[in-house]
Amino acid sequence: MMYGLDHLGAVQIARGVAKGDFSAVEVAEASLEVIEAKDGDVCAFLQVCAELALKTARETDARRAAGKNVGPLAGVPFAIKDNMHLVGTRTTCASRMLEHYESTFTATCVRRMIDAGATPMGKTNMDEFAFGSTTESSAFCKTRNPWDVERVPGGSSGGSAAAVAAGEVPLALGSDTGGSIRQPACFCGVVGMKPTYGAVSRYGVVAFGSSLDQVGPFGRSVSDVALAMNALVAGGKDPLDATSRDVETNYLAGLDDSVEGMRVGIMGSLMTHQSLSPEVMLGLKDACSVLEDQGARLVEIELPHIDSAIAAYYVIGPCEAFSNLARFDGVRFGYREPGHATLAEQTAWSRAHGFGAEAKRRQLLGAYLLASGVYDKYYYPAQQVRTLITADYQAAFDRCDAIILPCAPTTAWRFGEVSDPARMYASDLFTISSNIAGNGSISVPVGLGRDTGMPVAAQLQGPTFQDQKMLRLARALERGVHEAGLMKAAAIAPAFVGRGR
Amino acid sequence: MALTRDDVRGIASYARIALTEDELDEMCTYLNAAIELLAPIRAYDLTDVEPTFYPMGELANVMAADEPDEYGCMLGVEEALKNAASTRGRAFRVPSILGFKEGDG
Amino acid sequence: MKSLAEVLCDWEAVIGLEIHTELTALKTKMFCNCRLSHHDEPNTNVCPVCLGMPGALPVPNREAIKSIVMAGLATNCKIQKRTCFYRKHYFYPDMAKNYQTTQGPVAFCMNGRLVLEVTGEGATERPDSTIGKDDDGSYTVSIRIKRIHMEEDAAKMVHVGGKEGRIGGASESLIDYNRCGIPLIELVTDPDLRTPEEARLFMEKLRQTFLALGISDCSLEHGSMRCDGNVSIRRRGDVELGTKVEMKNINSFKSLHDALAYEICRQAQVLEEGGAVLQETRHWEPSGRRTTVMRTKEAADDYRMYPDPDLPPFNLPDEFIEQCRARMPELPDAKRNRYMKSYGLRRREATYIAADPKTARLFEEAVALAGDAPLMVANVTMNLVPAVRNVQPFQVASISQLICSDAITFAQAREVLQIVDGTTDDPRQVVDERGMRQCTDAITMANAVDAVLAHSKKQINQYQDGNKKVIGYLIGQCMKASQGAGNPKYFGKILKERLER
Repeated sequence: MMYGLDHLGAVQIARGVAKGDFSAVEVAEASLEVIEAKDGDVCAFLQVCAELALKTARETDARRAAGKNVGPLAGVPFAIKDNMHLVGTRTTCASRMLEHYESTFTATCVRRMIDAGATPMGKTNMDEFAFGSTTESSAFCKTRNPWDVERVPGGSSGGSAAAVAAGEVPLALGSDTGGSIRQPACFCGVVGMKPTYGAVSRYGVVAFGSSLDQVGPFGRSVSDVALAMNALVAGGKDPLDATSRDVETNYLAGLDDSVEGMRVGIMGSLMTHQSLSPEVMLGLKDACSVLEDQGARLVEIELPHIDSAIAAYYVIGPCEAFSNLARFDGVRFGYREPGHATLAEQTAWSRAHGFGAEAKRRQLLGAYLLASGVYDKYYYPAQQVRTLITADYQAAFDRCDAIILPCAPTTAWRFGEVSDPARMYASDLFTISSNIAGNGSISVPVGLGRDTGMPVAAQLQGPTFQDQKMLRLARALERGVHEAGLMKAAAIAPAFVGRGR
Repeated sequence: MALTRDDVRGIASYARIALTEDELDEMCTYLNAAIELLAPIRAYDLTDVEPTFYPMGELANVMAADEPDEYGCMLGVEEALKNAASTRGRAFRVPSILGFKEGDG
Repeated sequence: MKSLAEVLCDWEAVIGLEIHTELTALKTKMFCNCRLSHHDEPNTNVCPVCLGMPGALPVPNREAIKSIVMAGLATNCKIQKRTCFYRKHYFYPDMAKNYQTTQGPVAFCMNGRLVLEVTGEGATERPDSTIGKDDDGSYTVSIRIKRIHMEEDAAKMVHVGGKEGRIGGASESLIDYNRCGIPLIELVTDPDLRTPEEARLFMEKLRQTFLALGISDCSLEHGSMRCDGNVSIRRRGDVELGTKVEMKNINSFKSLHDALAYEICRQAQVLEEGGAVLQETRHWEPSGRRTTVMRTKEAADDYRMYPDPDLPPFNLPDEFIEQCRARMPELPDAKRNRYMKSYGLRRREATYIAADPKTARLFEEAVALAGDAPLMVANVTMNLVPAVRNVQPFQVASISQLICSDAITFAQAREVLQIVDGTTDDPRQVVDERGMRQCTDAITMANAVDAVLAHSKKQINQYQDGNKKVIGYLIGQCMKASQGAGNPKYFGKILKERLER
């Protein structure tokens, strides 16, 4: 290959493979070498599927040789969060419960990436069953933040974010239930998008919170993320996911257009929230100036009920998780503890030892909240609060095209620094509301923190099913950040530059 | 009112998650702290506010055709059983439901 | 124990039914596209959805929803346009997700009713004082239907090592998920039934209705239609309800009647001896003709139900319901009335023929071919057809015409029908070939009568002593002597002449 993978984004790889500058197999081999060279330090991958990757890449090359369409993601290596099925790989959800689980079908999102020509490289680490914000609750290994290996990558899709940040793959898939794409993207200095609920099929993605979960891409640039989005929605609504919608859009169209005159909502109380560290507050201020420099207009908005989003989330999420995880009883699949005389005992002990602490906490919280008598005190009001938050957003989007807000209160913290679940939960404040309301949101790196030197991100949120407009603003922000010299565009973490091809 | 150890024992038994005595204490502390975090839910006047069980706007009446294996999802018996810890012939196998004692029946 | 009649004089039984019907006429399961089949090898009609594999998602079967709407229209229910599916949680391996997808407080069909006509012996179960009865003792009663909701069936479990495949004492259980996810509609009546006969008739009428709709094969024997009965008793005149006992394992109409009858008598005995009826679930043992305790219910089960976020809600458009209405066939009651009005059938015949769609179709097609012989066609359909397996409408028509024109006797008709059963042979040809024409020769018939009378001194004396009924026996003897070829009316006439001479 003429260039190292470090310098190629998904857009450039797909173009190069389509033109014949290099082959999909060459790209896959380069990615495998990079993973081999770097992943010992990052631990982003739980599984690398080298054979499957090379086989897929060979097929892409054969298509090109036969003069057929190679697809918009031809030869682009991508990583898959380990809660998504791909036949030929295990899907563990980073849990003992599913340590040996062989995928019996391929998730629609993964299928669509492959159909677009992309090459699956492997499965990435995550918080067990996606419960967490640091990827530390993985039963198997600790993923490190490529910007500082003493720090967490964020979570729950920490492995996917870290794999992209370290330059192991240009694209990765994650799932976002309360910030699980955006927050690790923020911590690892990459772009991470949670599309509007229903845009991307959830079929084949192990469910956490069915009404909150949404699959989305990580990339080092907004264009790469937009390119991946095109593949994820190609073909429209998935007949296997009743909640999916037809949103066949070309997210790349007009991506680089000027944002002159577009209105960006800003909520003062969030931008100066007491939980924000000074460096994050500074980063956000820069982001706002950058957007104004690009021609956008800042308008004040209010989301009066946003403070209750965390509470609503920690009712709805655990309730849905409780029932989604009930199926792990060791009968049809999953860990089964031998030596118990009755089915009930076997189930209870298999679940006790198959699940980690946080997975058990969330299920029991959900089981409590759904109990008769309790349901009316928490679950039902939480869904009413959801109505209020959704209405808040609708009112706000009457006045603006997108909202800018923080992504996480601080930059990535050191391992073990935050261990109290309640404090961990509170750090989701800025990301959770768009899972509650279902609208799209994206995390864009805007600079390095003054104090920690770690990436700082701004979050943009758009109205439901207007993710294209949100991406255009994200691209403008990214361009402006680069022009202002705040951060290099599409950079990989400095410590990992130049290792491998 | 805070949840007691017995409450938590009951919830865990319902949810089929065995807890040791130590775990029961920890879980009790956790659940009570978590429930405290949920207080804002009850801080608003929610009279006449409809719940939003589905974050998908007006999406309704999603139904599929009655066509066998339209999307090729059916699994062969080997695929179906391959992740099971215990099988017999073509069936999944579980231990005695009520508890088997020698001499029973 | 006292007899049912004795018990029901002092006590009033309050009975409610829960009737589950599998929609066996459909091609696929409720929430996936797996084939519906009762007879395949275990675990061959399964997919990730009905095995509850992680990541699988449900999509409702449109035809199943149409079927339940039709069921609702046929039972005078109000069709609820706005409804949704709920998750009902319980840990048991026959439900792959450890929750059943079913409906909540609002089912597709609410507040219906069926009118029962209770006649004959069965009508005597209800003491005359409690309801207005006709001169012949028959009465009609309207039974309210609470709801009919849509849900999915559970897997089949085989308990190994216990007695008679029962769960107690079993060392292990084997699970076949072919049945898991089969569309199931559950009808719940109000507790309006007062006698076992009314319960039996309700079930029978519902079965006839569903058969007419063509939504299920309604086989009690094979379990595609299953009934649980709730019964309590109270002193006549009391308002307060007694303790309710639930009964399972009812797999025939007779079992339903007998189990309820037994249970009513058992409860009466318990109460009359000063005991108390326990709230429990009991198992009907047809061999021992008694019910035995399955489990005692202490507290209500908490199923932690909440709306299933994987399934968007319903807001059925009027056109959908109208399409269902347009597909409704003529129901048994309407059919019966039409047969009485258009063909002059008696109520009993009309009811019998209208009850079964196959019989009704055979009758109507035969009537159309036979021209003006509807009464004879009805007679043949009701009295001769049940004894054969497969006859064509033209055969029934032609046989009816042959009887009407006195060409053959009814007894010969029975023989002809058996000969043409399963063939496409023309009965006229059979009759010709075998020379089965009815005997009309006066001398031959008179000789037959004389031969019979020569050996019937006893009957002659009886007749002459005033026992005129004995002539029936003598006609039978004459028929036998003529090998069915003689016309019984003729024989009667000649016998009368001889005996009264």
